[in-house]
Amino acid sequence: MDRNHHQRPRSSSSILDSLGEELIGILTPVSICMFTVVLLVCLLNSDPSSSSSFSSIATAAYSETDSDSPWDKLLGALLNSLVFVAAITAATFLLVLLFYLRCVAFLKLYMGFSAFVVLANLGGEISVLLIDRFRLPIDAVTFSILLFNFSVVGVFAVFLSRFSILITQGYLVVIGVLVAYFFTMLPEWTTWVLLVALAVYDLAAVLLPVGPLRLLVEMAISRDEDIPALVYEARPVIRNNNLVQRRVWREQRSNHNDDVENSEAVTVVRSEISVPLIDDSSSRPESSETFLEGIGLGSSGAIKLGLGDFIFYSVLVGRAAMYDLMTVYACYLAIIAGLGVTLMLLSVYQKALPALPVSIMLGVVFYFLARLFLEVFVVQCSSNLVMF
Amino acid sequence: MEEASRSDEPNRNPNIDRSSNPNPLSSIISSAHVWPTIDGPLGLTEEASVDYARRFYKFGFALLPWLWAVNCFYFWPVLRHSRAFPQIRNHVVRSAIGFSVFTALLSAWALTFSIGGEELFGPVWDKLVMYNVADRLGLSGLA
Repeated sequence: MDRNHHQRPRSSSSILDSLGEELIGILTPVSICMFTVVLLVCLLNSDPSSSSSFSSIATAAYSETDSDSPWDKLLGALLNSLVFVAAITAATFLLVLLFYLRCVAFLKLYMGFSAFVVLANLGGEISVLLIDRFRLPIDAVTFSILLFNFSVVGVFAVFLSRFSILITQGYLVVIGVLVAYFFTMLPEWTTWVLLVALAVYDLAAVLLPVGPLRLLVEMAISRDEDIPALVYEARPVIRNNNLVQRRVWREQRSNHNDDVENSEAVTVVRSEISVPLIDDSSSRPESSETFLEGIGLGSSGAIKLGLGDFIFYSVLVGRAAMYDLMTVYACYLAIIAGLGVTLMLLSVYQKALPALPVSIMLGVVFYFLARLFLEVFVVQCSSNLVMF
Repeated sequence: MEEASRSDEPNRNPNIDRSSNPNPLSSIISSAHVWPTIDGPLGLTEEASVDYARRFYKFGFALLPWLWAVNCFYFWPVLRHSRAFPQIRNHVVRSAIGFSVFTALLSAWALTFSIGGEELFGPVWDKLVMYNVADRLGLSGLA
């Protein structure tokens, strides 16, 4: 995060002045997403030990039942995760191919379509579940009008390149919440192994030279275009009547940042992106999706976080909520710490980084530590009236 | 929302010394320019805003009052400063009226339905209420 001190001779601002604001700009939506998923999980009371009839591509290889031994469950979970990661890799390579062939219009259309499917289908399902749970006396006509409105405006928010920042951010968080809630309905072992597998995949896809996400990012940089994918972009920080000037990744090609940054300063364009979703029509209602994962810097210097990161953080916290709220607190703090570490690495390396590995690893470790050790300790202390 | 309120301020400090600040963007921001959108300098220019406001107004007729509400929200500075942007203001005010009318009608119907209940509607109430419709169509068969 660079400053152009010669352009603001009278300001003695340092990096710390806007750092907190930018961090809050990313931490707030992540926290809201996680909180909403935990709320939904607690309200809708999904029983963690029941074998759900929930089928998706992530349970295609093996459906977990209660009667299997732990070793069988582990093997089944590994198989499931392998299938899912393979599907995501294939979808991402397809995205790379389409982007290479410059089918950007098709990608944007697909993105809008998938946003509509998520908002209408998954959003409708969750609303129906909530209405059922609370027995709200709402009638079908009103409900369908409201759902229709909500979805169509969501498609506008995701599809249009210039739209209200707040509403676009809100809809992206809602899409993240909806997809994450459905992922929490996977069987337990599958969820945990899948999270770890995705963290490893993210690491490989973004950092390896042959990784699809890295290819995508490099193509986008070389063509100076934006990737059409669902990415949350924090509001660019404006301080002292200037946009915070930051050495964006694409400027590393030129050694002289001054003139490039001047020309960047004139175009205050927020880079807009949307998500390709791959629908697995044979499985209902959840679709296997590829979301761009990773964290980077936008053309106006704002921090961008892929929607896949939102989703899998929330899946981890949602799964922790199915056990107890204590694990939720532990995992939430672990994920936020991981995100902070990733942001620091982003400021050091100035290129697209995978946002999943650090947070997911910390989250998983803390979940098992809290579940196995902390809970026993806290329960013993409380029941003996020593602490808590 | 603190970021929204900060960039909502349409008038940047006009007293900034422009000669010492070669950044052209800051001069745009620091002029006494009122931006039509709620995002301020990050949002649309005035010419694009007319187009957007008109398109949102027209699309809202497809049973989309929420789009009208978003239109009013997005162009809130147009409603606040009643003398600027006459063309945009035309569409935005009409969107606001449309939204209010539609909301009044819809909430009248919804409240009648929920408060009236079975006494008012009879057996039709059970056929129309959402959780029964969902059970019938199998929509809530997830959990």
